[in-house]
Amino acid sequence: MATSSMSCGRLVSWISAAVLLQILGLWLFVSGFFPVKPTVPGFSGPESYRMPTCEDVLVDERRDLLPDQLAKMYMDLSQIPPAFDRMILMVIDGLPAEFVLGKGGQPPEKSLMDAMPYTQFLLSERRAIAFHAKAAPPTVTMPRLKAMISGAIGGFLDVAFNFNTQAFLDDNLLDQFYQIGWKLVMFGDDTWIKLFPSLFRRYDGVNSFYVKDTVEVDFNVSRHLEVELVANDWKLMILHYLGLDHAGHIAGRHSLLMNSKLKEMDDTIRLIHTHNALNGDDDGGRTLLVVVSDHGMTERGNHGGSSFEETDSLALFADLWSESLVYASNMHNEVFQVDVAPTLALLFGVPIPKNNVGVLLIEAFNSFTDEHKLRALELNSWQLLRLLQVHLPHLLCRDLREGASGGQVVQSNEYFDNIEEKLHHLYSKAMAAHTLWKLSERDSSGRSENSTNSYNAVASYYDFLRYGSEWLSHRATDKPIKLILSGVVLLLLSSVLLFYLLLLQFKDHGTERKFGSALKNCSCVWHLDETFVSVGTFLHIFSLGASSMVEEEQYTWHFLSSTMCLILFYMTMLSFLKEQQTVSVEMKKDGKLDLHQSQITHTSVAKYTARVILMKPLHTYFRIYSLLIVLICGRILRGWHQGGVNWAHLPDISKWLEQTSSSCMKAFEITSLLLVMMLSLFALSLLKSRTRYVLIASFGIVVLGFLVLLHIIENQPVNRSTSIAQIFYFNFGILVFGTFILSPWILPLNFQEHSDSHSSAVKTDGVLMGIQDSLYVVGVIYASSWCILQLLLQQPVNAIPMLLIFVQTMACIIYFSASGHHRQLVEVAAVYFLGMAGHFYLGNSNTLATIDVAGAFIGISSYSIIFPSVLMFIITFSSPILSYLSMLVCISTKDIVSLSLHERPDLSQLLNLMIAFPCLLPLVLNSAVLTTFTLILLVMRNHLFVWSVFSPKYLYVCAGTVSVYIGLYVVTVTVVYTCTVFFFRAKLLKFGNS
Amino acid sequence: MMAFSEITTPKAAALHLLCSLSLLVVHWLAWNLYSWSLITHTSETLGLCLIVHGPIVIGVYSLVRRDRQHCSYWMAVARGLLGLPVGALVMAFGAIVLGAPVGIRYLKRTAYWSLLMSVFTFVPPACVFGSSRVDWHRIFAHFKPEESLDALVCLPAYGSVIGAWIGAWPMPLDWERPWQEWPICVTYGAVAGYWIGGLASSVFILIHGPVHVKED
Repeated sequence: MATSSMSCGRLVSWISAAVLLQILGLWLFVSGFFPVKPTVPGFSGPESYRMPTCEDVLVDERRDLLPDQLAKMYMDLSQIPPAFDRMILMVIDGLPAEFVLGKGGQPPEKSLMDAMPYTQFLLSERRAIAFHAKAAPPTVTMPRLKAMISGAIGGFLDVAFNFNTQAFLDDNLLDQFYQIGWKLVMFGDDTWIKLFPSLFRRYDGVNSFYVKDTVEVDFNVSRHLEVELVANDWKLMILHYLGLDHAGHIAGRHSLLMNSKLKEMDDTIRLIHTHNALNGDDDGGRTLLVVVSDHGMTERGNHGGSSFEETDSLALFADLWSESLVYASNMHNEVFQVDVAPTLALLFGVPIPKNNVGVLLIEAFNSFTDEHKLRALELNSWQLLRLLQVHLPHLLCRDLREGASGGQVVQSNEYFDNIEEKLHHLYSKAMAAHTLWKLSERDSSGRSENSTNSYNAVASYYDFLRYGSEWLSHRATDKPIKLILSGVVLLLLSSVLLFYLLLLQFKDHGTERKFGSALKNCSCVWHLDETFVSVGTFLHIFSLGASSMVEEEQYTWHFLSSTMCLILFYMTMLSFLKEQQTVSVEMKKDGKLDLHQSQITHTSVAKYTARVILMKPLHTYFRIYSLLIVLICGRILRGWHQGGVNWAHLPDISKWLEQTSSSCMKAFEITSLLLVMMLSLFALSLLKSRTRYVLIASFGIVVLGFLVLLHIIENQPVNRSTSIAQIFYFNFGILVFGTFILSPWILPLNFQEHSDSHSSAVKTDGVLMGIQDSLYVVGVIYASSWCILQLLLQQPVNAIPMLLIFVQTMACIIYFSASGHHRQLVEVAAVYFLGMAGHFYLGNSNTLATIDVAGAFIGISSYSIIFPSVLMFIITFSSPILSYLSMLVCISTKDIVSLSLHERPDLSQLLNLMIAFPCLLPLVLNSAVLTTFTLILLVMRNHLFVWSVFSPKYLYVCAGTVSVYIGLYVVTVTVVYTCTVFFFRAKLLKFGNS
Repeated sequence: MMAFSEITTPKAAALHLLCSLSLLVVHWLAWNLYSWSLITHTSETLGLCLIVHGPIVIGVYSLVRRDRQHCSYWMAVARGLLGLPVGALVMAFGAIVLGAPVGIRYLKRTAYWSLLMSVFTFVPPACVFGSSRVDWHRIFAHFKPEESLDALVCLPAYGSVIGAWIGAWPMPLDWERPWQEWPICVTYGAVAGYWIGGLASSVFILIHGPVHVKED
């Protein structure tokens, strides 16, 4: 047996190797799947009209300027007279550009042309110009609006890390307009109000939640038009129509609803375009109508992914002032959605937002002179250069001016291996062409030559801009497939390795059990419990493929953990039935057992077994009651928070409690605190040896409880409360760390009673008993102080759930310690299941919205990022970590004494016996979820809900993996330390005796 | 020597066919007479099922009772009637612990559902074995039935419990279908499991034959 079992050191190193592989794979996948691009903080100011240099010094010169002065300064600096004074930004949610422009040079279908007669008239009369504006995934509204007004492509993690505020804080057009004193009004989708809570002078937000409604949402926008079009106080009016997107969601892309909706949109465009108040320049000035859509839609009307149908959005510019044809007739241009931002910024004379990766649409500048066009391109290039400089710090430190002023341009057909060189080359070329044009303009020698020069300058500017823009946006959205795949492979590899290690352990322990559990009396059931662990895990993993099962994961976990308990209950009842039926048979078996043990000749072990047999009926009742407690607590907890997404509004206990008075809530909190304290004190008092030490530990718990009590009674955001919390953290640290360090040294080795016998078996026995006691104390202290910490941090409404989870975990451990016939596998799995169910019992869900941000600032007096994040992690993963910590108690209640009957285990074997399963199994279960969900995310990357459901869930899975690592690390270190110290003490004692 | 009649394959098949058909007939009756369905009138349909299916199960299983010398037919019926509420309590406990709603609105449905589940699971062994601890332990401890009578009793019971458990899985999905309500899809799952269990037990008896019965 000893030969077959893997030594502890080797096992630990294999496990660590697998964990390291997993971490590496996870890191590779995450960095591939969720690219983080560095955004530049702050807002563009006057500096954007200066050429960027190697060391760009940022001086905010706008601070003391009034809006009017700022606008004047921008106009002077830009050297371009603003073409327009007012703008109407009409957003038609979900309109594919194909409906207006057709596809591949072909005009759209006849029915679609007929549905939008006025728009088609504007386009054919060249009074408007329209583009296929390719949107970047995720094609859902909020990120797309952000892209249009900031010109930046955000990654998912940007959204995730700003979960406590939805307001848009990066540089954007709307804020730029606001700073130069524009008045903004907004009607339509309330996403705008979420993005800019305080920017709009007048607004009427409609909610996009009621997807079934296609009429009211748009009526609520259009009803404002009559009044607002006449009003002349606003400079920018945003109209966001949701009806077309809703029509798509209901009936798909080619439904009849769609045509009537298109007609309605066309009528709105006609109304605006022909409105008298906007056509004259009497008071309102020149107005630009911009019609954009945020994304397209698939054949079935969905969106979110990256297919052509979804990313094909529209950008249409119509000059309301001019009667004649203003625009060139190139209608089928394919541009990018982000190009809207620099175009509008330059048309209206504000600085281009800092993070913009778009390129201005020169066709919209048709009424500009060549000089102004080139100047606009130059400004756009400077802005892009500044952004490129963030990625490539040495880009501008090359001598740009030399290349430009000398007019000596390197030949373009050269091979560039370096992106910096390529960008540098393109930019110098553009500058040179611009300078050439300026020279020829000054000479005014030949008209034709001049226009050729201007054409060349525009073209070379575009070469640079497009190249830089594409490079930047690829950095933001490209998913490097090699990175992702290597990550997935590593994850798979580590899962397989962990599973293989578990199987090896299974084999070893399997042979062991045949000896160790002669007491087992229920071999008849073909391991229903073990089968369920694998089936349940498989079902859970399988269910993660469905978005609504991810949203409502709390049902899955409750169902699985309760079923697990019901199965255990069923097995207990069976053994109960059998016990009374076959008492005589049992007695015979016991006799045999005693005989077997007498060969080993060990009195205390015989006593131990005798005690076990005598206590059997009592144990059965224990088991039944503890399982009933687990089940009933679980049901109450399920009713505490409704959770999830679809049924979150239904009444539950927490909603009911929140309506009661705060004193009532405090009473609940204090009650649960006292009960947790009493339970942990009781658990500590069960230990018989060295009462003084246990008394000190109990005193530590009481102190912690008292501090939390003070905090609850205080419950005011004053300094004193903060200091109480800080004292609590300090005491918590001392208690936990102190117990961990001191317990193995102080608790007795249990040698005294057998001092007459000097056989080595007795010594081992004493050591084992000591280890058990010590682990028990440490485990109880860990678990109970963790619970008390949670009572401090969690919302008041979660006080009782925390108590119930603690009770559940303890009851579960009592059950397993009272019943000898389950494998350790089942025990660890049951505790793990309870921990995962508890995660959702505390009101957590798979959306980022349920993270308790307020609790993360308890006891924090100065600003920091790390400490609140740690607290937030502690609050969110309190229940899983509690379950890992209570594995220590599980380990200590296992009868390792009876396991060691047959031979004297050395340290390594003992460690292997104790921590192999508790460490491996959670790792295996978690890595199964992690790996599968990684694959699911990869498969679902074009799914509608990938950003709203699957990606947040992935963040939870990653954080859950971290919690597994932390919890198991603590368990392993504690067990290894305790065992080592005890063996060391035993050796010392041996030397002392001899 | 216990004397009980041989359970041949045709007999077992007829028994299961009768039990299964009765459920179909109830469904048909409810739809045609009252135009009820499980989705629109959940508790009424469940009640009707109980009224029709319950007596059939009790009557049929009492016929195949064990230990005929000491136990009359009516005794077996009485045992079945006694087992009905006890089993219903167990089933209701299980369902509520697993997350069935507990509001007053659901009280009637839960009660009818658990009575029906009791008819599927607890009533047959109660009729057949009475309170014999040995038999109960044997049929609930062994998933592999050892004799035909066990198969007749326990396979449909296991089938219905496992079916109900599986039937609960679609409930959290956001399909917004009326049948996702408690306990409609659970009942469908249970009935499907019951039928499969009945079929399995018929097949079991076909394979093992009535020989095993004689041995005892």
